[in-house]
Amino acid sequence: MSGGDINRQLSHMSEASSIGSDGNSSEDMDEDIDHSYYVDTSNDLNLDCPSNTDDPEYFEYEPLQLIDAERMLNEEIETLCMKLKVNPSMAKMLLLRHKWNKEEIIDNFQRNPTEYLIESHLASRRRHVNLMSSYISNIKITFFSPLKDNLIGQRPICSVCCVEYSRDRFFGVACGHKFCRDCWDMHFQIQIQDGITTGIECMAKECLVLVTEDFVCEILSQPKLRDKYSKFSFNDLIKSHPNLRFCPGIDCSVIIKAKEAKAKKVECQSCKATFCFKCGIAYHAPTECDVIKRWLTKCEDDSETANYISAHTKDCPKCHVCIEKNGGCNHMQCPECKYDFCWMCLGDWKSHGSEYYECSRYKENPNIANESVHVQAREALKKYLFYYERWENHAKSLLLEETTTAKITARTQEKVMNNQGTWIDWQYLLIAASLLKKCRYTLQYTYPYAYYMEKGPRKILFEYQQAQLEAEVENLSWKVERAEISDKGVLENQMDVAEKRRQTLLKEFLDVQVL
Amino acid sequence: MAATRRLQKELGDLKSPNSVLKKSFRDICVDESNILLWHGLIVPENPPYNKGAFKIEITFPAEYPFKPPKVIFKTKIYHPNIDEKGQVCLPIINAENWKPATKTDQVVSSLIALINDPEPEHPLRADLAEEYTKDRKKFMKNAEEHTKKFSEKRPAD
Repeated sequence: MSGGDINRQLSHMSEASSIGSDGNSSEDMDEDIDHSYYVDTSNDLNLDCPSNTDDPEYFEYEPLQLIDAERMLNEEIETLCMKLKVNPSMAKMLLLRHKWNKEEIIDNFQRNPTEYLIESHLASRRRHVNLMSSYISNIKITFFSPLKDNLIGQRPICSVCCVEYSRDRFFGVACGHKFCRDCWDMHFQIQIQDGITTGIECMAKECLVLVTEDFVCEILSQPKLRDKYSKFSFNDLIKSHPNLRFCPGIDCSVIIKAKEAKAKKVECQSCKATFCFKCGIAYHAPTECDVIKRWLTKCEDDSETANYISAHTKDCPKCHVCIEKNGGCNHMQCPECKYDFCWMCLGDWKSHGSEYYECSRYKENPNIANESVHVQAREALKKYLFYYERWENHAKSLLLEETTTAKITARTQEKVMNNQGTWIDWQYLLIAASLLKKCRYTLQYTYPYAYYMEKGPRKILFEYQQAQLEAEVENLSWKVERAEISDKGVLENQMDVAEKRRQTLLKEFLDVQVL
Repeated sequence: MAATRRLQKELGDLKSPNSVLKKSFRDICVDESNILLWHGLIVPENPPYNKGAFKIEITFPAEYPFKPPKVIFKTKIYHPNIDEKGQVCLPIINAENWKPATKTDQVVSSLIALINDPEPEHPLRADLAEEYTKDRKKFMKNAEEHTKKFSEKRPAD
C-alpha cells in the first residue's frame, strides 16, 4: 500500500483513531519535513478526545487548578452580591442551594425577597419583619440584636448550656434564636469536625435556618477550624456547581470545568482518570447515569447468583475439550478440533455473520404475562443473567485486551528482529488494539441500556445496532490477534467499520437520553 | 464539663411535679458518679402496651448537648419500631436531625408517642410491621401476651 493510500484510509476513518498525542506532534515539526504526508491533521484521528461537534461523544471541558476555580466562583458570587445587594456569605448560600442558577435566583429574589429567603432556609417566618434591614450590607447587625425587651435588667440563660450571661454574649442568625457565644463556638466545632459546613443549621429545635459563613468565622475561636471550614465549604460549592466536578482520580486536585452539564466522557490530563462528567463514575455511554447506578447496584446485590457464570473456562461444544479464554475475542477456535464457535452462546460462529448476529439479543417469552409468578420470576432471573453474562464477559475481555497490547509489542519486536518490516510498519496494530478496546468498552455499556429498555421499535433498532457492533468488534478482535504485516489494509478497513458502527449507535442513542 | 450543668437542669425539670411526663416517664435514676447515664421507666397509655411498663436507658455523649443522646430499651417489647436488642429509631436523636437545644423531655415525649402509635412505614422489625398493617387483631393479641409475659410492673398510682 502506498503512502497516499494510507492517508486516504486514515482520513475517512473520522477523527477517532491514532494514538494519543500523534495529532498534536505534527505542529512541532521542522519546516523541511514533507508536509504532504501530514495533510489535514485537524481531521487526524485522536482516540480519546473527540474534537468534532458531529461526534456524539464530543464534549467541551477544561481542567482548572483550585485557585482558578476559586476565582471563577468568586466572580459569580460577586456578580450576585452586586445584583441583589446582599453580602457575599448570603450570595454564596443562595448559589449553593439553587445550583448556581443565577437568573432564577435573581428572578425569584426580586419577586419576593422575604419569601425566597425563607424558602432557601436563610430566613424564618418568626422574624421576617427585621430581616431585610439586618441582612442587607451591614452584616454586623445580624450578629447582635438585644434579646426580648422585657428581659432588660435580667441576665438571660442560654438554653443550650443553661448558663446565665450578660446580653452581649448572645448571638443568633436570621431566625432570631439566641444562644451564647461559647455554645455557638462548640456547635460549629462539632459540625465542622463531622465535615458539615454550609449545612450548619441554627441550634433551636426544628429550626432549619442555615448559618452563613460570616457568622461562623466571626464566632469560631480556633483558626485551624476556620481553615477547615473554608476548605470543606469550598468543596460544597464545587459539588453544587453543575459545570464543575472534582477529578475522581486518586490524590488528584484538578477540577474539571465543562461547558454543559452532560453525561459525557472526561479524561483528566493530569492523572489520566476517565469518568462521566455528570456522575463521576466510570464512563457509561450509551447508558444513562441513574440507569447505570441501578444496574451496578443490582449486580452487587445479585453477585452470588451471577458468580456461577463467571468461570473462565468452557467446554468445546463439539469435542468437549476444556477451553480457557485467554484473549478478548469471543470468536473462539477449539485448539483440538478447530471448531469455530461463539464464547457467549457456544453456537457455530458461522451463524454470527454480521447480518444474522443474534447473540446479543435476549428473546423474551412472548406469553410471559399469562404465566405463573414462579415462571415469571424464573424468566426475570434468566433475562438479568443473559444481560449480566454479556456485560461481565466484555469487562473481562477488556482486561484480556490489556495483555493483547503486551503481546502485540512482543510480536512486533520479534517480527522486526526477523526483518519482517520495521517498527513503524507494525504500529498500526497498536492503534487497532486501542480502537478495539474503545469499541468493546462501549459495547459493554450497551447491555445495561438494553436490559432496562422498554419493548418496542426503539429496542429493536438498538438491538440491531448493538448486534452489528458486536459482530464487527469480534471480527476486529479476531483480526488483531492474528494480523500479519500484509493484512494492514484489511485491518484498517475493519477498524473503520467497527468505529462507524459504534458512532452510529451512539449518535442514535447517546444524545437522545440527555434530553 | 458543659454537659453536667445542662443535664442537672434537665433532670431537675423532669423530676419536678410540674413535668408533663410525670405519669408516663418515671423512676428516673442517675448514678451520682456518672450523670451521662440515665435509667427510667416508660409507662405507655395505649393498648396493647398499657398492660405493662418498659425500662429504658439513656446514654449522653461527653459532647452533649452538641451531640445527641442514645436510647435503648432494657425491657423486651413487641413493637415494629424496636428491635430485639432494644434499639429504637427515633428521628429526633438522629445525628443529622439533632439540635443542641432539644431537651431530653422532648426526646422522651417523642419516644412515648412512638410506643403508643407504631410507625410501620419505617420499621426496625419488618415482620412485626407487616403483621401490624395486615392483621391488626393478631398483632394486638401477640403484643398483649408479650407485654404481660415480659414487661415490668406498672406503678400503682
